[in-house]
Amino acid sequence: MRTHFFDKKSIDSTNHPWVALLGNPNCGKTAIFNILSGLSQKVSNYPGITVEKKIGTVKFGKKSFNILDLPGTYSLSAESFDEQIVSDQVQNWAKGENPPAAIISVVDASNLSRNLYLTSQLLDLDIPVIVALNMIDRIDSQAQIDQNSLKTQLSVAAVVLLSAKLNQGLDDLKEAIVTVINSEEKTNHQSNWISLPVQNELKPFIDQQFVSSKFGVAHALRLVSRNINHNGNAAQVDSIRNSISNLGFNPQTLEATLRYRWIDEIVKSVQSRAKTSIRKISRSEQWDKILTHRWFGPIIFVTVLYFIFQSIFTWATIPMDWIQTGIDWVSAFVLKNMFPGMLRDVLVEGIIGGVGAIVIFLPQILILSLFLTIMEDTGYMARVAFMLDKSMTKMGLHGKSILPLMSGYACAIPGIMSTRTIDSWKERLITILILPLMSCSARLPVYTLLISAFIPPITLSGYLNLQGLTLVVMYFLGTATALILAKVFSKFIKEKTSSSFVLELPPYHVPIPRSVLRHVLIRGKLFLINAGKIIMAISIVLWFLASFPKVDQSITDVNPIHYSYAGKIGHAIEPVIRPLGFDWKIGIGLLTSFAAREVMVSTMATIYNVEATGDNIVNLREAMRSDVDVKTGMPVYTPLVALALMVFYVFAAQCMATFAIVRQETNSWKWPLFMIAYLTILAYLGALFVYQGGLLLGFS
Amino acid sequence: MTLIDLNPGETATINGISGKSYRQNRLVELGLLAGTEVRMVKQTPFNGPVEIKIRNSYLTIRWNDARQVDIVV
Repeated sequence: MRTHFFDKKSIDSTNHPWVALLGNPNCGKTAIFNILSGLSQKVSNYPGITVEKKIGTVKFGKKSFNILDLPGTYSLSAESFDEQIVSDQVQNWAKGENPPAAIISVVDASNLSRNLYLTSQLLDLDIPVIVALNMIDRIDSQAQIDQNSLKTQLSVAAVVLLSAKLNQGLDDLKEAIVTVINSEEKTNHQSNWISLPVQNELKPFIDQQFVSSKFGVAHALRLVSRNINHNGNAAQVDSIRNSISNLGFNPQTLEATLRYRWIDEIVKSVQSRAKTSIRKISRSEQWDKILTHRWFGPIIFVTVLYFIFQSIFTWATIPMDWIQTGIDWVSAFVLKNMFPGMLRDVLVEGIIGGVGAIVIFLPQILILSLFLTIMEDTGYMARVAFMLDKSMTKMGLHGKSILPLMSGYACAIPGIMSTRTIDSWKERLITILILPLMSCSARLPVYTLLISAFIPPITLSGYLNLQGLTLVVMYFLGTATALILAKVFSKFIKEKTSSSFVLELPPYHVPIPRSVLRHVLIRGKLFLINAGKIIMAISIVLWFLASFPKVDQSITDVNPIHYSYAGKIGHAIEPVIRPLGFDWKIGIGLLTSFAAREVMVSTMATIYNVEATGDNIVNLREAMRSDVDVKTGMPVYTPLVALALMVFYVFAAQCMATFAIVRQETNSWKWPLFMIAYLTILAYLGALFVYQGGLLLGFS
Repeated sequence: MTLIDLNPGETATINGISGKSYRQNRLVELGLLAGTEVRMVKQTPFNGPVEIKIRNSYLTIRWNDARQVDIVV
C-alpha cells in the first residue's frame, strides 16, 4: 500500500545498476550519501528536513551506478512508519522484486554490536552486502577492528573502513561497489546466527513452507517475534510460538537474543583489545550534564529557538533586500526594452510580479533549513526530543514531534514527512493534524506585507516595536492553538499501537560542512523550482482572468477589472467574507491561496498591477494603503481588516500540497478532509471574532 | 529490581524483560538482553524518560519501558 514511495519506474535496474544504503539512525549514512552523490541527488520537493526517498548517481572511473538512501532503522522489525518503509522494501527484495545489486550496510565503528544487529538481518537475503565501517576516526587505537576477520565471519562481499568526516575511504567504498556489481559471484549467506543445535530443535515445529526456503527459519523467527497483524496465518504463528515456548525460549525475544549472542562473539574476536566499560563517561555525557540538565537544558533550548527566529527575521532581511532590488531592476529592464503589448503585460504584471513575490523569501527558508540541519547533525535535536518527551506526551504529542513541528515553521510538508520517525500512530497523526497551524514561511510574505502596510511602526519599549510584536503574536497564536488542539484531539482519536519512545543520543559531533551545505542548497533549489512552477502558472492564469473580457473604456468609468472574470468571481463570494471585513479583491486572493498561501501576495500584486493602467510596476504596499471603496469612499484596508486577515491566515487551510501529503501519509481521505474542515471553521470564526469584536470596541 | 530502581551513576546487569510482550522485542533488539551491563545516566522529572548507557551507547527509553527491565546489581 505504501509502494508509491518506491516507485519502480524511478530506479531502472536494467539500464543502470543500483545499490541501497542502509544503517542505524546516526551512523553517518546520510553524510556518506551526500558526499557520494553530490548534487546529483533527486529528493522530493519540499524545503526543510526530510526523511524521504533519495536517489543519487555516483561516478567511479568509467563506471557509474545509482545509490538509494533509505531511512535509518535499528531493525527490520518495524516500530515506526519510517522503519516500516525500509522493512517493506527489504521484503520486496527478498521476493525478488527489483533487488539492488548490493546493499551497503553502514555501521558506526564505535558502536559495533548494536549496529551489526541490522547487518545480521540483511544477511538473511541473497543480496551481496558490503559493510561500510564508518566513523573510524572516532575509535581509539585499542579498538582497532580486524577487517578481514570480520569479512570472513560475516561472510559479506567486502568490509570497508571509512570516515565520512575526514573524507577517507570513500574511494575504497566505490571500488568495492563496482567490484560487486561486476562480479558474478553468488552470496554465501546462511543465517549463521541461528546456531545449528537451535535450528535443528526448531525445524520440526516450523511449518514446511518456511523450512524449505533457505532463510525460512530466520523469517519464521522474525514473524513470531512481532506483535503485528498476522493476517491469514495467525494460527500458524501461534503454533510456532507455543512450540518455541515449550523448548524453553521466549518467542518474542528469541530472534534478537540469538543474533546478539552471535554478534557479541564476533565483536569479541575482531576487536580483541577493545576495552569498553559502561562506567566510562564520554565527552558527550559531560556536555549533557549541562545541555540536558533539568533546568539549564530547557533554558538553553529556548535560547537557541529565540536565536533561530531572531536570525530569520533580522539576518534574512539583508539578502531579501538584494532580491527585491534585483526584481525591480529586471521589471524596469523589461518595461524599457520591450514594446508595449500583451506579451509585455503578462511578463511584467503576471510573471515577474508573481514569481518575484515568492523568490524573496528564499533566504528565510535557507536559514531555517540550515539551523535545523545543524541541530539534527550535531545530535542536539535528539536531546531536545528526550527533554521534551514528557511535556509533549502530556499534550497528546511525542518527544519526536518537536522536529516536525519546528520544520513546520519552514513548510508543513517536510514536517509531515518527518513525523514518520514517531513510533506511535496516534501521536504521529495528531502531530500531522496540528502541523498546518505552525506558521510556515509561506505565510510570512502575507504577514510581512500586511504588517508593513497597516501596522504603525511604533516603538513600545527598547527593542520591542508594534510591528515585530504583531508578527510574534501571529506565530504564538498558531502554535498555542496547535498545542491546545493536540490535547483535544488526543481525547478523541483511538490508539492503534501503544506509544513508545526509544531514542539513541548520538555523540555530539561537528557537522560536516559539505554535507550540511549540500542538504540546504538542494532544499533551496527544489523550493525554487517547485514553488516557481505553481506560482508562475497561477500568476499567468490569474492575469488572464483579471484582464479579460476587455470592456470598452469609453462606456464606463469603473475600472475594467470589475467586469473581468476574476472580478466577477470575487464579487460573487464577497457576501460570505464581508462579515470578516474582506472585499472582493481579498476574496480572489483567498481563492488563489488554496494553491499555496504565498500566492496571496502575488495575486494582490497581479490584481493591482492590472488595475493600475500606468506602465510602472506598482508598489503593492502603497496600492493597498490608498485603495478606496468606490461606493463609500472609505479605505478598503484598515489596521483592523489587516489584523482579521492575518488571523484568517494563521488558521486557514490553504495549501493543496499539504492535503495531498496528508492523504498520502495517512492513507485515507478522512484526515485531510477533517483537517480542511476544522481549519476553515477556525479561520472564519477567528477572523469574524477579531473584526466584529474590533468594531464593537470602536476600532475601524 | 528494575531499571527505574537504579540511581544515576549506578550500574547493574540485565536479567530479562517482563511485562507487555510486544515491547520486549524492541528492547532486546536495542541490546538490552540478559547478561548485558547497564548504567543509569539520567532520570527526568515526573517519571519522564530515562537515559541509560549500554553497549557503548546512550539510549533513552520511557519510564514505563524501563520498569519492565529486570536487573541484578
